[in-house]
Amino acid sequence: MNETRVSRRTALIGGGVTATLFAVAFGLTLPRLFGRRYAPTPYDDLLAHLVDRDRAARVGAEIRLAEPKFDGKAAARELRQRFEQRDIAEVCDADVREGRLAEVGGWVLPESLAELCALAAE
Amino acid sequence: MSAFIDARTIPSGTVLQADLAIIGGGPAGISLALALAHTPLKIMLFESGGMDFDARTQALYAGKVSGVSYLPLDSSRMRYLGGGSNHWGGWCRPLDAIDFEQRSWVPYSGWPFGIKELKPYFKRAQDLVEAGHWSYDASDEPMSAVAPLLALGDGGVYTSWFQFSKTRNSVLPTHFGDRYADDLRRIPNLKLFLHANATRLHLAHDAASLADFDVATLNGRKFSVKPATTVLALGAMENARLMLASSDVAAAGVGNGHDLVGRFFADHPIPRDTATLVSFAGDIAGYYFDAYNLNGAILRPAYAPRDEFKRSANVLGSLTTVENAVELDDLGKAAVVSTALALGVDAGNAKAYSIGCGLELQPDPERRLTLTGERDALGMPRLKLSNHVSDADFARYRLTMKELGRQLLAARSGMIRLNYKTRAEWVQALDWGDHHLGTTRMHVDPKQGVVDANARVHGISNLYVAGSGVFPTYSASNPTMNLVALTLRLADHLKRAMR
Repeated sequence: MNETRVSRRTALIGGGVTATLFAVAFGLTLPRLFGRRYAPTPYDDLLAHLVDRDRAARVGAEIRLAEPKFDGKAAARELRQRFEQRDIAEVCDADVREGRLAEVGGWVLPESLAELCALAAE
Repeated sequence: MSAFIDARTIPSGTVLQADLAIIGGGPAGISLALALAHTPLKIMLFESGGMDFDARTQALYAGKVSGVSYLPLDSSRMRYLGGGSNHWGGWCRPLDAIDFEQRSWVPYSGWPFGIKELKPYFKRAQDLVEAGHWSYDASDEPMSAVAPLLALGDGGVYTSWFQFSKTRNSVLPTHFGDRYADDLRRIPNLKLFLHANATRLHLAHDAASLADFDVATLNGRKFSVKPATTVLALGAMENARLMLASSDVAAAGVGNGHDLVGRFFADHPIPRDTATLVSFAGDIAGYYFDAYNLNGAILRPAYAPRDEFKRSANVLGSLTTVENAVELDDLGKAAVVSTALALGVDAGNAKAYSIGCGLELQPDPERRLTLTGERDALGMPRLKLSNHVSDADFARYRLTMKELGRQLLAARSGMIRLNYKTRAEWVQALDWGDHHLGTTRMHVDPKQGVVDANARVHGISNLYVAGSGVFPTYSASNPTMNLVALTLRLADHLKRAMR
């Protein structure tokens, strides 16, 4: 009976490929398993503009504290108009240029950014 | 070289005669004497103190304070030759053109003349305070070559510059008594009396001129001086005190026919840590904290509102400096990261700094000095300061800071946190500049000012006031260099008037 012999070299290459595939699969799955996931909100289209949503939510919590009656829906309507075909930097620039500023715990921010933060904290 | 005269050796009852008496040996009195050197005028200068601090003399300044917290009246001034310059920080900056204007949003504003009237004297004043070559608002470019300025977008606030006084040995700053003692001794037409306290001004019977004044010493000597002309250069507080206390002919005091002497007192509030400034890129240039010597001009930047912004936002003057590095709390870090990311800026090395400022106050007739029933060792009634700061003064500065924050965002260079919102927070953070201003304000109308455009007391032909007490509005600029310029202008007037 012929024995199929696997050379040491082939075994090493095969093992490497398998390990790599595992690593890639693990890497892709891990964030889904353990990473920050957010419940769907009516504002996800807007919140997608935020690079660091957790930090934004920290700022937003301060706004919510100072303005318990913050109207997220109205803010979102306004923001969608401002964001139409523009990115967040352009929207913030326009706010700054036109003097639309908000104070959050004393920090002077572009108003649209502050409202996004408040939505992130909802 | 003539020696100074110790007034404690003048026999009681002596009557001295002079063409011009200068009462007070601070920056104004000394500058005036220097400017009138080698004229035909026979000048006498009377200084309460000696060449050094003396606790007994200093105690003559003690008084009361009510209202918003203020420094004790005997520690916010210095009573020996050199006066206020003996505890001067050396900060210099000229008044702005708008400071002289009647501004619709500033009650009681408006000088009798514009900045053009003072400009010819700034250079000589700058020399006297030894603040180097005049480079205030021409320093952006050379200082940027040293290290970059923190970028600001277009707007109402700009980077202005302080210059600092220095002595010849580069010990900050110039103390007028030490620095000019030898120059004063060399003036042939000047006699300078130390330990000489003016205690009473005597008007002529018609109250239209000053007849003479009394001088007393702490060792009990009393004599009088009969000058043709007198200049009060005691500082804004003590000028008012002497005028109010001299009530034998005019019951309300000298020059006080319209109840203005002592009113409109002002100083520059210096609230600490008013804001936190963040530079996204990290460390800012060292000259923001430590003045930098650029070819003999010692410079430090300050954020100032532009004249156009003052008009459009109805704000007053302010000069904001970066003080020291601070740590951010969680909210601060979140705000900085969120904002920088939104602007597309890397804030990985961001640094935060505390901000301080000096503010111009709105003129207020109720912020005033009055006499109390208590008397000092020479029998002079002591002063009481009723101190006020309006909420509007704080709110206006807040607008300026918010504009600075907007411009930092516009430049994507940084951002700002406004640290105080309530009056209690502002008042708790208040310090003061020891810049005494406004108690003998200048106005062409005797009903609105104590002195006229030439600093002559309204209605009294031979009595003048020198110093920042005549400023009708206060600017945010530190007063010393400016009051020296105004005094040099007075010297020119006296040369003409006393010919």
